[in-house]
Amino acid sequence: MAEQDESSMIGYDPLAWMHEAEDVELPCRSAPDTPPPLTDDLTVIVASNPHLNEAGDSQSVDAITQCQIILEPVQTIQTVAQLHQQLQRMLDDYNKIDIDASAVIQIDTASMQLLLVLKLTAVKLQKEVSIDFPSEKFMEAANLLGLSEMLSVDQAASGFF
Amino acid sequence: MTSRIIAVLNQKGGVGKTTTTVNLAHALARMGKKITVIDFDPQSHLAVALGVVSKQRTGIDEIILGHATFAQQQIPVRENLNLIVAGPRLQEIEQLSQGGSHRGDLLRNALMSGTDQRDLVFIDCPPSSGILVANALFAAEELLVPMTSDYLALQGLSHLMGTIKKFETVLNKKYRLQLVMSRYIPTRRLSKDVVSTLKKYFPTQILATPIRETASLAECPSFGKTVFEYRPGWRSAKDFEALAGDFLEGRVM
Repeated sequence: MAEQDESSMIGYDPLAWMHEAEDVELPCRSAPDTPPPLTDDLTVIVASNPHLNEAGDSQSVDAITQCQIILEPVQTIQTVAQLHQQLQRMLDDYNKIDIDASAVIQIDTASMQLLLVLKLTAVKLQKEVSIDFPSEKFMEAANLLGLSEMLSVDQAASGFF
Repeated sequence: MTSRIIAVLNQKGGVGKTTTTVNLAHALARMGKKITVIDFDPQSHLAVALGVVSKQRTGIDEIILGHATFAQQQIPVRENLNLIVAGPRLQEIEQLSQGGSHRGDLLRNALMSGTDQRDLVFIDCPPSSGILVANALFAAEELLVPMTSDYLALQGLSHLMGTIKKFETVLNKKYRLQLVMSRYIPTRRLSKDVVSTLKKYFPTQILATPIRETASLAECPSFGKTVFEYRPGWRSAKDFEALAGDFLEGRVM
């Protein structure tokens, strides 16, 4: 993904995220009938929102689905491509994505950039992404990069979650 | 007439920000453009490179603090080329953020009036990502990023682009961004590979003429001279002359 061809003197390409960020901004496709597959290193919980139906809301069930993903403890450039694919599928298929960041003990800039682009893309698509229960390490990384406000995790430290 | 305000920035040190600002500005001034350069680095290297060495002279610091105007603080240093020095209090402004007072709009407000008599205003930024660079990003519409052709410069550019994109989102504006290859060593394979990598991400944004690494460019600041005065007609002077043409005409690699 981020590496050049063998003859190049550039090994890992630190600018690769710029093209990846553009990829994430592709328009959302229509939702398929089946939820994204569950994988070993990822927990995805899909739920429809019963409260809307109880309230007599006219939206279809497809339009009110949400899902949850639990981030792995270590999120690095080595795993970011897989996370990108998973989040892209979820963004295509669901209106709300809850990201549980409580287990994160290490996260690099590539992963943070991906989460940031996800948030921004979701806003454009009028969808919602929330990062819940961010761990201390996650908060530390977000603060260091000046992203805590944009990722909406700045209030987590104040006990708003 | 509205002047173009260009921030020359790269948070990595030693990439040639000041060298590019001094010599590109002088090249443009020699072409008849009315230029003002702002030394926005508390180290005051831009002023030194132009032969202004007084540490007590006030400059952009007092404009930002509202005690002076843009017109008052300009020093004519060459024909068509004016300088605004950093001033002794610029360092204090850099440290404002440490007290929790984030004022990113100080420079933009300071440049609201008085710049319209100039064709181009260059802001030579410090090698950091603190409050001064934030001010430059607020004030400028254009960014000029000098880049050396080594791997760590690519890494630094990645960080810088993250910062720029964040500002574009927050300020809801799109910068005109151009790269200058500086300290370029054409005989190195790595140099070509860095340029090739950059072209992938900035296909129409790298100015056509690379500024080659030479001894004369390293020497001229100690004499307070630009390369056009120190070594007129030499290779580096020709590089900067060509670069100025690229800058005005939008010629890219």
